Amino acid sequence: MKVKAVKRIAIVAVAVMTVMGAAGASLAGDLLQSVKERGKLIVGTSADYPPYESVDASGNFVGFDMDIIREIGKRMGVKVVIKDMGFDTLITALQAKKIDAVIAAMQYSPERDEKVDFSIVYRKISDAFLVKADSPITLNSPEDIAAYKVASQTGTIQEKWMLKNLVDTGKMKKNQAFSYERVDNAAMDVAAGRIDVLFIQSDPAESLAEKSGLKIALISKETVVAGQCIAVPEGEKGLKAEFDKLIEAMRADGTIQKITDKHGLK
Amino acid sequence: MLETLKFIIPGLGITVSVTAIALGLGLLAGIIMAVCRVYGGPVLSALAGAYSILVRSLPVVVIIFVLFFVIAELVDLSPFLSGAIALGFASGAYQCEIFRGAINSVPRSQMVAARAIGMSRFKAVRTIILPQAVRLALPAWANEVTLVLKDSSLVYVIGVPEIMRRAQYVSASTMKPFVAFGSAALLYLVLTLLASRLLEKVEQRFSIQM
Repeated sequence: MKVKAVKRIAIVAVAVMTVMGAAGASLAGDLLQSVKERGKLIVGTSADYPPYESVDASGNFVGFDMDIIREIGKRMGVKVVIKDMGFDTLITALQAKKIDAVIAAMQYSPERDEKVDFSIVYRKISDAFLVKADSPITLNSPEDIAAYKVASQTGTIQEKWMLKNLVDTGKMKKNQAFSYERVDNAAMDVAAGRIDVLFIQSDPAESLAEKSGLKIALISKETVVAGQCIAVPEGEKGLKAEFDKLIEAMRADGTIQKITDKHGLK
Repeated sequence: MLETLKFIIPGLGITVSVTAIALGLGLLAGIIMAVCRVYGGPVLSALAGAYSILVRSLPVVVIIFVLFFVIAELVDLSPFLSGAIALGFASGAYQCEIFRGAINSVPRSQMVAARAIGMSRFKAVRTIILPQAVRLALPAWANEVTLVLKDSSLVYVIGVPEIMRRAQYVSASTMKPFVAFGSAALLYLVLTLLASRLLEKVEQRFSIQM
């Protein structure tokens, strides 16, 4: 009897997998075409990262990235629908084609590039190193942080840089590198004196420093791999080319600069 | 604090509906699976046992992911629905154990007696065993309600803006995590209190004096 039950489960499992495989195959195609046909561009973001993306008091998605992608949608002649999810989920959702693109202050990296494709950079960035407001620590180059306890956000380019360039090379002890799920939690620990330095992207750094009693010890471009790009599903060359073209045009006619100024970014 | 609450409160409805759908589905699955396990014969009992142990061994987030990224590929499910169904599927396994315990607490001799006077197994389960078992299960079930209520915060990973996700929005833009998550905690406390009071009333209403 039990053998029979197991067999039955196995048959169902195989059937489900076959159907799934077929569905997966039939989905590959020209995404740009289908976006234009349905008149909707579905964009994933993680709306807990002002000034790039956040939710205002009336529940609208606002921020630098939101303005950029809405302008792109306007120029493509399609409506932009924002879907909010956890940052870790975005790439998976893109691979599963739940969404057409991701704009979430996401930087190009070789690891991410294996799973999805990236547009050209729409915003160049710098990194910032924050310390407690009354801290005596001075930093002259990013490598100087090797002597301190440093916090970064899990899965970010900054964390990768620190692990690769300082920890793996032996300049920094492994137990000095701390990984936080959220930047505001990390800032609290720096303010409390448990951590010496917070290593994040420079744009949110100023307001974070002001609100949590920290100061900026160093701003650097040395640690930056690329810049912020829009992610599209792997192999969707048409959509990538469209984004590249529009980003180029928006940079040329000053639209990106205008949006940058609007959000008080440098 | 007031403004924070005002911002988070729209998530209340979503949290409550996700929890209600999950509990309802879980109740249905739980009772059926529990009956199968105790009175279902070898095949059904083994299937129900496999469901229970498999689902209970998976983190709920994994179930939510699988349902959203694999199953919803075939059927068009919104994040809200796939989140609620995933939670219900998970809760079903825990509720199966709750009801199994309760069904086992009803002496098997009652089943034998019911069969002896000519009732079918199904009728005996429905009219003799379950009415007693459900009463016995209530206290444990009330506990499951509070657990599912808090598990409902996990659906944020697929983008359902319930209480916790909205608290994260506030925390990110105000940089005041204590206020944001404190407000969320307050709402969960109110919900839990309401749910337990309600279920206590139900327990009293249906209690049998023995």
